[in-house]
Amino acid sequence: MEKNGKGFSMPKSSLKSTPSKDDSSQKSKEGRKVQFNNGGSPEERFDYSKSNGKSSSSADKGGNGSTANGKASKSKEKEPLELRLDQDRLKNAKCLMDSEAAEILQGIQDQMTLLSQDATIKLPVSFHKGLSYAQANARYTNTHSVRRVLDTLKKHGVVDGEISMIANACPETAEEVFALVPSLKVQQIDAFYIQTLQSKKSILKEPLEVALMVIKPLRKVDSTSV
Amino acid sequence: MFFHIVLERNMQLHPRHFGRNLRDNLVSKLMKDVEGTCSGKHGFVVAITGIENVGKGLIRDGTGFVTFPVKYQCVVFRPFKGEILEAVVTMVNKMGFFAEAGPVQIFVSNHLIPDDMEFQSGDMPNYTTSDGSIKIQKDSEVRLKIIGTRVDATEIFCIGTIKDDFLGVINDPTA
Repeated sequence: MEKNGKGFSMPKSSLKSTPSKDDSSQKSKEGRKVQFNNGGSPEERFDYSKSNGKSSSSADKGGNGSTANGKASKSKEKEPLELRLDQDRLKNAKCLMDSEAAEILQGIQDQMTLLSQDATIKLPVSFHKGLSYAQANARYTNTHSVRRVLDTLKKHGVVDGEISMIANACPETAEEVFALVPSLKVQQIDAFYIQTLQSKKSILKEPLEVALMVIKPLRKVDSTSV
Repeated sequence: MFFHIVLERNMQLHPRHFGRNLRDNLVSKLMKDVEGTCSGKHGFVVAITGIENVGKGLIRDGTGFVTFPVKYQCVVFRPFKGEILEAVVTMVNKMGFFAEAGPVQIFVSNHLIPDDMEFQSGDMPNYTTSDGSIKIQKDSEVRLKIIGTRVDATEIFCIGTIKDDFLGVINDPTA
């Protein structure tokens, strides 16, 4: 709950956003993820220096925040961008939900048993591990419907990777989603900076709750779950 | 997380495989070479789903081997920092516990386990809360967040945490 509180305080003013990145490791992770949604790296650096300029003109706290951020900015840019950078590199990579992966891998295994004329082709160990992991986590009875429902969130700016993460997590509430996928809370830095700061989480909350309500009945009922 | 991706590879084929079954030989060699491998960029190649394109073969100077550029689709598994995964615990010791999610090994250090959980040694070492309500032992399912990845030649190894909100034990095998 604390973290949600901190998450709410972030959007209050753009000036506070930079120093608040250094307050705690958790917040700094969220702070790093501020750059997550920016376009490309040159844009981020430009926006970063802009926000540094803003904070240095304000109180001392803002000034301290900006110098610390200046030093740490390079490492912060590299780490959390992992998901984004890789998505740029693997341009035609499609994020799969565990349910979808389970279907594909099961299909391949069925094919292998049919076509096992060549005895030297054996499925590797990682295939079996991947298949059993995907099947264990494949919690929906109808993956296509789940995919269609969650794709409606795309128009609110949710990317493929985040959609797969939401599906895999099988969340109960929207708050759980925001806690597990912190990049959803991140504000996009664009021309309407201050306006979008306040509204991204609230824009996303309702469609997310609707989507979760729709996919909940599609979950497989697990008799062993706690 | 699983991805469906197109990769490209140059396959070398010995002339003894040429003939009618050239393409089949090429595909089976590709499968033998690639399935089950791991790279830092793409993660574990779990399975090849199809061949997109086989380019023209180039004869290598000095030998009779021919190099074919092959584009193929495959399912890969690559863990990312910040990803939430559900893993099965494989080993517990006082430094933390090891868990497995698909082909990936994840280690959760005791510093990243909530403070109210303590290590109990014994023939079934485990981490238990002070009131004994929650236990992490071998074969427990836990939901964890990846906070770091390291790539070896043949495998990816991750560090995870269960100290955040909505993380921790999902399913206790003894319950």
